[in-house]
Amino acid sequence: MRNLHLAATGAILLCAAAAAAGTAGYSADATQSSLEFVGVQAGAEFKGVFHKFTANVDFAPDALAGSRIDVQIEMNSVDSRDADRDTTMRGKDIFDVAHNPTAHYVTRAITKTASGFSAVGTLTLRGVAKDVPIDFQFVPSAAGAKLTGTARLKRLDFGVGQGDWKSTETIGDGVKINFSLVLKPKT
Amino acid sequence: MPNQPPPTRYSAVAQGLHWAIAALIVVQFTLAWSADDLPLGARKLALLARHKSFGMTILMLAVLRLLWRLFNRPPELPPGMTNIERQLARATHGLFYVFLFIMPLTGWMMSSAKNYSVSWFNLFAWPDLIAPDEQAFNLLKAAHDTLSWLLFAVAVLHILAALKHHFWNKDDVLKRMLPFNKSEKRS
Repeated sequence: MRNLHLAATGAILLCAAAAAAGTAGYSADATQSSLEFVGVQAGAEFKGVFHKFTANVDFAPDALAGSRIDVQIEMNSVDSRDADRDTTMRGKDIFDVAHNPTAHYVTRAITKTASGFSAVGTLTLRGVAKDVPIDFQFVPSAAGAKLTGTARLKRLDFGVGQGDWKSTETIGDGVKINFSLVLKPKT
Repeated sequence: MPNQPPPTRYSAVAQGLHWAIAALIVVQFTLAWSADDLPLGARKLALLARHKSFGMTILMLAVLRLLWRLFNRPPELPPGMTNIERQLARATHGLFYVFLFIMPLTGWMMSSAKNYSVSWFNLFAWPDLIAPDEQAFNLLKAAHDTLSWLLFAVAVLHILAALKHHFWNKDDVLKRMLPFNKSEKRS
């Protein structure tokens, strides 16, 4: 009960902070949002998704200084449409979910670009924190907003791929991330 | 053309395709057997990637070979063969053409079903033939495996028959598929 009380107070404070910064607070609707990665194996792309993630977004196009995107990903929810590969990816040499069950991305600075917005943020993946830039579009709607975008990262920067998997001959180093977040206002 | 006598030797193109494909099939068995013994890892993926690239090469050569065969008359079977022997020879050759298409195609579909798209020596990726589906993959793998053993058996029969013609019957059946053998002049 006390915890609930604290959480409620925290939420109110967050909303107040967002209001002060001139941004609106959103959270992603998990059922409609998607987080996809595109890797390269033997010269051909393969796609997978993370089914479980939470995204909290404070955003207003005219208050970028106070805007922020914060995404928490459950690495165990990886799905590349092949159970064998998923099991391998959860293992020690790739995501090591036993020791690093979640990945976290939070933006530090958001700027306007010709086609939308770009952000610099820190991705913490497999226990390694490194900057990853993202490009995204923010489209307000009656029910909230839609935030779609892309990122590119190098898996080996985060130690994703130990032992034989360090070789980029078969599994490419570069990974594309595509995300589409359907945002609902926080109440 | 209808009045021309049939050639006594296979053309250089037919010979080239025959021996190139034969060599590639040997490579394919070697790669597949080596990969089968490995756990899912970078090395297995590398071997299978090569297996797929060679498989697609065989498929492309098979198209050329079928076209060549349709527009170019092969030498006739030597006289003295019994009716059964002739039918067996034709069936074996017909089966090879079936294998040259069905092996790469089942392999290609297997890759699609497991969401491992096929590339050609890392140069470009082939489109997926079917959507990822574990059941379909298991079925296709069983088909690909079984067909590979049938191909193996037919190849053994084919080689034994060629040797029998050469050493037992002492006819030119083997020689006319061998380059650098001009003892039999083309008529």
